[in-house]
Parts: sequence; C-alpha cells; structure tokens
Amino acid sequence: MLTKTQAVDGAAIKKAIEGRDGKMLASFYADDAMVRVIDRNNPPSKPREIRGRAAISTFWDDICSRAMTHKVDTTIADGDNLAFTQACVYPDGTKVFCAAMLELKDGRIARQTVVQAWDE
Amino acid sequence: MRPIETRYARSGDVRIAYQVVGQGSFDLVFVPGFISNLDLHWEDEGYSRLLKRLSAFSRLILFDKRGTGLSDRVDTNHLPSLETRMDDVRAVMDATGSGRAALLGASEGAPMAMLFAATYPERTRALALYGGYANFHRWVMPPERLDAFIETAETAWGTGATLPNFAPGRVDDPHFTRWWARFERLSASPTAAAALARMNAGIDVRGILPAISAPTLLIHRRNDVRVDPDASRFLVKKIPNSRLMEIPGRDHPIWTGDVDRVADLIEEFLTGERAVAEAERVLAALLATRIFDTARLGDRMWGERNLRFHETWRLLVGRHGGRSAGTHGELMVSRFDGPGRALRCAAALRNAAQEIGVASAQGVHVGEIELRGPPVGLTGRVTMQLAAHAGRGDILASRLVADLAIGSGVHFVDAGRVSFDELDEPLALVLAMSEQHLEPACHAKAKPAEPATLTTRESEVVSLIADGKSNAAIAAELSLSEHTVKRHVANILLKLDLPSRAAAAAFSARHTGPDGP
Repeated sequence: MLTKTQAVDGAAIKKAIEGRDGKMLASFYADDAMVRVIDRNNPPSKPREIRGRAAISTFWDDICSRAMTHKVDTTIADGDNLAFTQACVYPDGTKVFCAAMLELKDGRIARQTVVQAWDE
Repeated sequence: MRPIETRYARSGDVRIAYQVVGQGSFDLVFVPGFISNLDLHWEDEGYSRLLKRLSAFSRLILFDKRGTGLSDRVDTNHLPSLETRMDDVRAVMDATGSGRAALLGASEGAPMAMLFAATYPERTRALALYGGYANFHRWVMPPERLDAFIETAETAWGTGATLPNFAPGRVDDPHFTRWWARFERLSASPTAAAALARMNAGIDVRGILPAISAPTLLIHRRNDVRVDPDASRFLVKKIPNSRLMEIPGRDHPIWTGDVDRVADLIEEFLTGERAVAEAERVLAALLATRIFDTARLGDRMWGERNLRFHETWRLLVGRHGGRSAGTHGELMVSRFDGPGRALRCAAALRNAAQEIGVASAQGVHVGEIELRGPPVGLTGRVTMQLAAHAGRGDILASRLVADLAIGSGVHFVDAGRVSFDELDEPLALVLAMSEQHLEPACHAKAKPAEPATLTTRESEVVSLIADGKSNAAIAAELSLSEHTVKRHVANILLKLDLPSRAAAAAFSARHTGPDGP
C-alpha cells in the first residue's frame, strides 16, 4: 500500500486530521496498535480502549465522517514519542479539545492516548 | 452542565426540531415512533434512562418528525409521504454535521430508518430497529381496528386514552398515565394524531428490504401488544445482513419495560463490546408496602390513618436499618442491605397496620438496583408487582428472598409461581410467616415434650403440683424458698410448653410411670 510508506510525523498527522482523511490516518497505525480515549464517559480508571488497526480504522472513519473542522497545533516530537493538541468545531458551534500522546514503534503508531473535553 | 439545546434544521420549507447529546466517536440518530416531544422525553424516567444510556457511547441525535412535538405542523389535508419524512433525517444529519450515522428506528420510526438505509447506504453506519414492521395493516392492525383506534384518538386525545394500546403494563401507574396524557397533548393535536395514524397505516416498505446493506439488529418484545413479533421475524428474513433478538416483555414503547436490556443490545451491536456492568449498581432487598381500607372508614378517617401509617412506615424502616425509597402511587418502597431486615420490617409494618386499623399487603424481592436515585429498575418493578399481588396481611416474597434469609428465624410457605412480562421465567414465590424465636412451630408441635428434659428437682415439683399443692406447700416440703419454687414452676412450663399449673398437673398424671414423671 502506498500510504504505508508515508512517514508518521507531526506534519503528516496534521495534514490527515485537518483533511479528515480517515484512511490515511488508519494507515499510520501498527496492526496491533491501541488507542486509549479518556473523556467524560470514559474516566481514567476505565478508559475506552480501541485495539487493532481495523477498530482504529472504524474509529477514524466515524470521526472523519463528521462535517466539522479540526485544527492541529503544538506538535512536539521527541524520539519515538509524539504529542499534539487538536481543536475541533461542529457546525452548531460545539467545541471539542483533545490532547494526544503517541508512542511510535518501527515508524508506526503503537500506542496513543487521547484526552478530550467537549462543550457541555 | 448546560441544558440540552433544541435547534431547528430546515427540511424544504419545514423546520425540524432536534437535539444532540453525548460525546461518542460515532453518531446515532434516533428515529422515534408515532409521536414524540423532545422536551417531554427527559421528564419520563424510562425515556431519559434510554437516552442517557445511548448517549453514553454515541453522539445521539434526536428529533421530532414533522407534524409532531416541537417540529413544524403539517397540513393535515396534504400529508407528507414517507420519503419526505425520511428526508427529514437527512436534513437533521446535515445540520448536525453527521456524514454517516447509525440509525435507531423504533416502531413507526423503523420503516423510516429502513427507507433511509436503503436510500443512503453510504450514510448508514448500522441499523437498529426496535418493534419495527414493514407493513402496517399486516403487523400492527387491520383496517377495521385502525378505525376504532382513530376514533379513540379523535374523541379522547390528550386524556391518555391510547395508553392501553401501547403499554397496558403501565395503566395502573398514575404518574405514568398522567405523563402519557401530556405526551399525547404536547406531541400532536387531535386532528394531527388522527392524520398521522392514517398516514402510518399506509406504510409498506417490504419492497426495499433487500436493498438494505448496513448491518442490522432487530429487537422485538415477544408479547408486544402493538406490533406483532412476526413483523421482525419477516424483516430478519428479508434484510440481508440482519439478526433478530427477541426479548421478554409486552409493553411496546422502547422507553417502557426493561429499557436497560434494549440499551445493552444496541450498545453491544454498535460498539462491538458488551455494556460494562455499571459500578453504581448494588445488591439490595426491596420492600414494597401498600395499605388499603377494608372497613369503609370514610375519607377523613382513612386519610388520618393513612397519614399515621406513613409516619410509622418511615419510623420502622429506619429502625430496621432500611431507607425509604419513596412512594409510587399507593406503594411505599424501602430498601435494605439484606432480606432478613426487610422481612422483619415487613412483619413490624403488618402489626403496625393492624394496630392503626388498616389492611396491609407487602412484597419483598432482592436484586441489583441503582445505588443512586429511586429503585425504578427491574428489581423495583418486580417488588412492586409482588405487593400488588399480595393478599390482605400477606408478605409475599420471591423464593430467592427465602433462600437468602436462611437462619433469620423467619419461615416461609410455598406460594406457587407467577409470570411477569419482563421476566423470562415465572417467579417462584413464598409467603413469609411470623418470626419464630425458638424452633419453628411445626417442629415443636411434632416433637412431644420429653419428661426426661426436666431435672430431678423439677420432676419432684411437677409431682407435688399434680398433688394440688401450692407453691408455699411445695417450698415447705422440699425445704426450698417459695421464690425458688416459683422459678422451678416457670421453667417447667417453659420446657414442657404448657400454659398453666393445671396443664402441668395433667401432664404429670399422663406421664407418671415406674420412674416418675
């Protein structure tokens, strides 16, 4: 797959998220990757865990199917660790803010933790 | 938390009211049935429970169909087609920025959701259909019954008169019947209700079923009073990627009956994960108490006694380590940490009712309940139904209560089985009998008193009683104090379970043998 050769870095992630490119995003993950989501409904002691590229692919397809804007700021890279923040706005004005920490392994995302807060 | 905002999407010339709740990573559009009102849903315990469950794992999009609730009214002489109404789903999705969503269609909402899924497969993530059907006359009601229903709707709309057609299990719940009457009034005008009923009667989407490609879950209550379960059995045969879950229950609206069971199935289907058991549920024993007038007391006296009993109820529940969990109509519900306490409290309440001069009937059940809020779940409903079943003075409990209360001193007699709509199996019942501090009564009666249990001194005292001697005379003869003789007599009566000296004398006479009594 061509997309597999895309290097995973802050710029690539920013481009894929802001372009709502779910397929590209899914290709950044290792086959056995895990994404943990911590938010109001998934507290730190019981975070939502999305395991494996297929499930992660569905997760990004769902998010990217929403007609909303995403803006990725503050990308920090340190060896195999990457961090960024993401500000999102729904058409009705509802805002969501996320902070994500990523661990890379062999150039793919192996583990990601997302902490998010919604307007409510 | 800010209040849930109601917004309006434009669908052609009509405004469709919608709400968005939840923060899930995918969208779930709830397509309601016959009538709805976005504001009113949150005021019913079952409805708001359902919406909270669904919005805990999705971004839940709710709307009122055109002509109902908070959405624009429609010209009842020019009713919109099912296609037009389906397009309202698309308009609401567009307004909320939802490119692709799972759809939950309930009752009349199901054909709309099916039509959407067949028309916009790329926008349909999955389809969950509850109590749905593809053809109204075949599975909901034939034309002749429809006319009677419409007549009821036209003549008694707004009084809650349609409730028995939808949720017969709730007609005895005064709080819910009042809510249902408001639900009718605030969801549609009488003319609109009749028009909507006629419009729904024209529904036939059988032809589009094979075109549905989204994964589909069908849920139907086995004894649904409104929509024949055969409707979903037909759907599962015709929709390619579908499966059917039949669950117990009779009431049709998705927000009545065992709401959690429905929510569990939908959550598992859409997230691929079984709903995590909520940590806020605890095991508890519930006691439901009702009192009634058997003596035709008259309003004033009944009112006074009713008040007095309520005060006593609070007092006794507290005294037995329980907590008042509120009243539901005429039922007083309390919760306890264990069934023994609930049973002892029930017995105390029965005595209190007798003293006050009212009749009581009570139900005790044990199961998981929500830690917070009133016990309105399945355990609560079963307990309340037990109290409704119980006869005058009865403490009717599930067999489970008896099994858990072993060693509490309470004993039970079998009371058969009873079927409840929401339970898969009939529930085994027992009646709790009076507390026995010693051996259970039947054992004591069956086992004759043994003279040998008396001490030598007590045997001597019994013999002298049999001779007709007074305590003073016995004391003198045995060189004891009169007080000691009194103690011996009391012990003898207790040991032999006899009511009086005369009975002890008769016992001695019966048991006199070679070795004495």
